[in-house]
Amino acid sequence: MKDLDYRGLRCPIPIINLSREILDLPNGEVVKLVSDDPATWPDLQAWARMTKREVAKIDEITFTIKK
Amino acid sequence: MGSITGIFTRENSLHPAAREVMLEAIDRGWADPQKIHHPSRQLSQLLDSSRESLAHSLGARPESLHFLGEPHLGFFLGIAGLQLPRERSFYPSTARLEAIAVAQAMEDPRRIDVDLDGLWSIPDHSERDLLILPTANLETGNISPESTHFQGRIFVDATAGPCEKMPTSWGAALWEASSWRGPAGLGIFAVQDEVSWRNPLPHLDGRKTPASFSPSLAIAAAVALEGSMKDIERSRTETLRLNSLLRRFIDEEIGDVDIASSQSALPQMLSFSFLYVDAEQLVDRMSRSGFLIDSGSACTSANLEPSHVLAAMGRLTHGNVRVHLYPELTEDELLKMLQTLKQHVLDLRSTL
Repeated sequence: MKDLDYRGLRCPIPIINLSREILDLPNGEVVKLVSDDPATWPDLQAWARMTKREVAKIDEITFTIKK
Repeated sequence: MGSITGIFTRENSLHPAAREVMLEAIDRGWADPQKIHHPSRQLSQLLDSSRESLAHSLGARPESLHFLGEPHLGFFLGIAGLQLPRERSFYPSTARLEAIAVAQAMEDPRRIDVDLDGLWSIPDHSERDLLILPTANLETGNISPESTHFQGRIFVDATAGPCEKMPTSWGAALWEASSWRGPAGLGIFAVQDEVSWRNPLPHLDGRKTPASFSPSLAIAAAVALEGSMKDIERSRTETLRLNSLLRRFIDEEIGDVDIASSQSALPQMLSFSFLYVDAEQLVDRMSRSGFLIDSGSACTSANLEPSHVLAAMGRLTHGNVRVHLYPELTEDELLKMLQTLKQHVLDLRSTL
């Protein structure tokens, strides 16, 4: 599992950085993302729908993304 | 900063017909319509005919209409006035924040979840419950579902603009004159169900609203609505065509776009979000190119919170753009705006 800590970064930077990071990962790999921006969770769900990925919410600021 | 060549924001200049009568309205609107002097009686008659004209277009009885000098006071008057003690008030999660704030200050607020198109279902309820019913969403133009199955009290939020058909039965309603290019600072509040509504404000007499509104603005609002309704009717087919053209362009020519306005939304409003784009930079660049657009993204709001409407619908909140298609818009003007938008989106994405 790859860990990404985007605390302090504001939208749309977390989603942009995540999409860049995920490019080099093998299919099926899971990313753990930490972000305290209130826009991250709604945006992550929309991004997953648009790019056909799976996301889950662990707690208020922690999310997982499966490539 | 270049000159403005295209206004696509929710705010626009006063309707030309209202602008034309504004000076005369100010000249005639100084008196107190409650008094018996000649100018007062004349003004009172003028206000009555404005009220009749507005009521006819808005789908309410003239005697039920009241002018508000502070439009958003109408949310409190409507919701608190209809809410019964210990009963529930239901509101869709995409309702206006002003309406949600009042509902949440009441005893038992209940949020109704919406789907990707902003649609929602009438929940189980009793005839003592209240429903806050936006006619259309202020950001996306998505039209609310039919409320015919709701047996309780209904507060209609029509601040997104006059709707084609009011619900069969409603308790109170609110409109905002600026939504039809009338003057800002004028609300129109109506009480249809006199039995259910109780004035929630401290009051000395039988008045339902404070009389602190500008009669001149009320006269101009009626003229603006008449003009806007004619414009909308005349341009309906063309606006639908331009709406389709816009949807096709952003999807095929720009791509990676999430369109929050459903196909059945009001055709003059469109909300869409570009993946991997900072809306603040996009709005700024468009403004420098002469095109004024709105955005619901967090980076364009004062509190850094994303649009609660987009978040509730599960739509992308960053890179959001909202455009309003006015009746006078031509295809050529729209295409110029879209080509500029495309250039800026591609430029911003290339700098990632």
